[in-house]
Amino acid sequence: MKRYKKKVLLPVAGMVVVAGLAACGGNNDESANASNNGTNSNGDLSEERMSVRIMAPSFAPDPVGNDSPALQAIEDYTNMDIELQFVANANYEDRFNVTLASGDLPEIIVAYKDASFISAAEDGAFWDVTDYLDDYENLSGANEVVLNNASINGRQYGIYRSRPLGRNAATINTQWLENLGLEMPTTIEEFHEVLRAFTYDDPNQSGQDDTYGMVVSEWEGPWDQMQVWFGTPNEWGENENGELEPDFMSDEYRDALAFFREMYEEGLVNEDFAIMDSGEWFDPFVSQQAGMVVDVADQANRLQNQITDDYSDDEIIVDVFGGVEGPNGLQIKPTTGYHGVLAISTTSVETEEELRRVLQFLNDLSDEEPQNLSYNGVEGVHHEVNEDGTVDITSQSEGGDLFDREVRDLNQFQVAIPEEKFKLPPQSALQQRADEVMEENMEYVVPNPAEPLVSNTYRERGSQLDNIIDDARIQYIVGQIDESGLDEAVERWLNSGGTEYMQEINEAYQEAQAAQ
Amino acid sequence: MAKNTTQALETNKISFWDKMKRDRWLYFLVLPGLIWFIVFKYVPMWGTLIAFQNYSPFLGFWGSEWVGFDHFERLFQNPDFFRVLRNTLILAFYETIFVFPAPIILALMLNEIRMTGYKRTIQTLVYMPNFLSWVIIASLTFVFFTTNGGVVNMIIEYFTGSTVNFLGDPNWFRTMIIGQQIWKDAGFGTIIFLAALTSVSKEQYEAAIVDGAGRFRRMWHVTLPAIRHVIIILLILRMGNFLDQGFQQIYLMTNALNRQVAEVFDVYIYFTGITQGAFSHSTAVGLFKGVVGIVLILGTRYIAKRLNQETLF
Repeated sequence: MKRYKKKVLLPVAGMVVVAGLAACGGNNDESANASNNGTNSNGDLSEERMSVRIMAPSFAPDPVGNDSPALQAIEDYTNMDIELQFVANANYEDRFNVTLASGDLPEIIVAYKDASFISAAEDGAFWDVTDYLDDYENLSGANEVVLNNASINGRQYGIYRSRPLGRNAATINTQWLENLGLEMPTTIEEFHEVLRAFTYDDPNQSGQDDTYGMVVSEWEGPWDQMQVWFGTPNEWGENENGELEPDFMSDEYRDALAFFREMYEEGLVNEDFAIMDSGEWFDPFVSQQAGMVVDVADQANRLQNQITDDYSDDEIIVDVFGGVEGPNGLQIKPTTGYHGVLAISTTSVETEEELRRVLQFLNDLSDEEPQNLSYNGVEGVHHEVNEDGTVDITSQSEGGDLFDREVRDLNQFQVAIPEEKFKLPPQSALQQRADEVMEENMEYVVPNPAEPLVSNTYRERGSQLDNIIDDARIQYIVGQIDESGLDEAVERWLNSGGTEYMQEINEAYQEAQAAQ
Repeated sequence: MAKNTTQALETNKISFWDKMKRDRWLYFLVLPGLIWFIVFKYVPMWGTLIAFQNYSPFLGFWGSEWVGFDHFERLFQNPDFFRVLRNTLILAFYETIFVFPAPIILALMLNEIRMTGYKRTIQTLVYMPNFLSWVIIASLTFVFFTTNGGVVNMIIEYFTGSTVNFLGDPNWFRTMIIGQQIWKDAGFGTIIFLAALTSVSKEQYEAAIVDGAGRFRRMWHVTLPAIRHVIIILLILRMGNFLDQGFQQIYLMTNALNRQVAEVFDVYIYFTGITQGAFSHSTAVGLFKGVVGIVLILGTRYIAKRLNQETLF
């Protein structure tokens, strides 16, 4: 063992030194270029434009073409020739696999951390960029928690596309609260009381029993969020021996489920939630039959918009809260903080020099000007800037598809690291409130220690394993099974590969901790 | 049939190549179909080989590692396997005894209607559901059967005071699936049987009437035997798809409460293979399904032959 270690250590040490030197050397050149680029949008003219192909999901029916003026402005700013390969979001996963199989990968490709991407990364399809990020002004400001989440066993195989970490929150009908003389709930007891009052105390003063507390659909997200309020770990938590255990093995999980079951028995949530299509999820809230929805903070604005189209600030009847205090104080389940990564192909980007060029490009994209270009388009063509620094996206508000054709999906290859710098349209009081809540949540979020860890068993049987536990939870809430049924489900989970999964996660966890 | 051809060959003494030459233009007409079959049905079959690999799209077919029967072993050792197999077999059995005869019964009933206009209208109406997609049928089912204000449950509640959770209760799942299939496909399935019924000569009915046979007797002794061969052929064809439950329908009707009985091979392949990128494993499951299909086809054919009925091949 010892001899083996020595043999390996020497070349590794050598490599580290070389890589370090290379990084330093590169760093000087690149930062010089970067400052050139930053101050002078013409860039370094002596350097020829490099062409990059970018594959990304699109949401517009007719995605941005390569002749878009906004794209051309981005090309000028970053000194790159960009060729966009948009794929409709619904087919993205399929196309990603097909592209992998074809062997002809674009230089930059949006990838989600699923089994295909993980195995491709392990097979060497993408650059491991972990050690490069610190050399770039914007990219070095990446959030540690998100980096960890986006990594595969601690290594970065792409630059994450950032999303707010504290995005989870509940939306509540404040008109009902006022009618009932209740305050915003802050503890689980108050939360329960509010739901009970929403169901039984006629919150809409119609004189009829036509309301209930909270609407849930077949999507299990809200339960995941709410159980963390009760102190359940976020998917994985350490037990007293310092080993990782899945959330459902904790006592808090059982407490949370008992509470949910009581909620269901009392009729505080819709009876048919387990079979309700998630597309219809918000309808009862919008039609003011249900008074609460547990989803994300920005949902509040969309719901209010559905209640009163194009609302003004005094028409707002909803409010947002991140969560309520449980036995361990306020705990909120964070999102992963990113949505896919921009992975760089090793087959199309062959040399380290080219890699640095691509990284520089992604770094520069996060400057304020290109961020504005990709979110708002070109000033005077797609948007106007108001006096207070907000923008009015004229190409969208005037109708027509100019914005869709020339701007909309350009933000799909925007990483927004370290933060979003683009100008926003004027925000309603509700949107500002939602932003505040997201900010506040950051203090209370519980990270998932196993997020970056990879298990082969989970890769093979993950959805089966997840289904066992998720189904049992729903069955318990609606009263189809009891405590012993939950125990059986855990038993079945362990026998179906859960034991191996836990083992693999713990091994990876120990390795990751030893590496730090 | 087979006997006749060999006899013909012997008596006419025409060799295979002479026949080919004589009918060359007919064979030429077959060519496009044949090519289509080879290119789109046979050539892709070699892809089945990834069932014996750990296929990774990036490494490709040639770069992926060969693992032999690993995926089959894993499949048979998986505790889910028997549950999925059981669900699939039970549902397939119900489909064969409830869904398969439905169009036959409907066709016989339609055949008894003597008013042409009325018959035509009914026929058109029962064809209709066939043109709806499963997504629409699943939504309609939800709207009608939900416990939150669905019409069916409102009626049940009015009479009994309690509701029935048709959509969530695992005991109702198979009934709902079979019911949907009959509603959607029975009408359209009658086309073939009605066509076969037109070939029954009036004389046979007249003879039966003279012999004093009532309506039911006529149906049993004249109509049914006349379409017997069509029924047998369709049954054999059906057997080949015995394990196909139609992914869409099951997927749309599955939820957390009924998954225990709802998970059949088609859905299982989707979850393990497509959503998790386990291409090799799902190919192995698909291959297993194919083998079962062949065994069932050959089995049905054998039984049909023993019962002295005609077969397809």
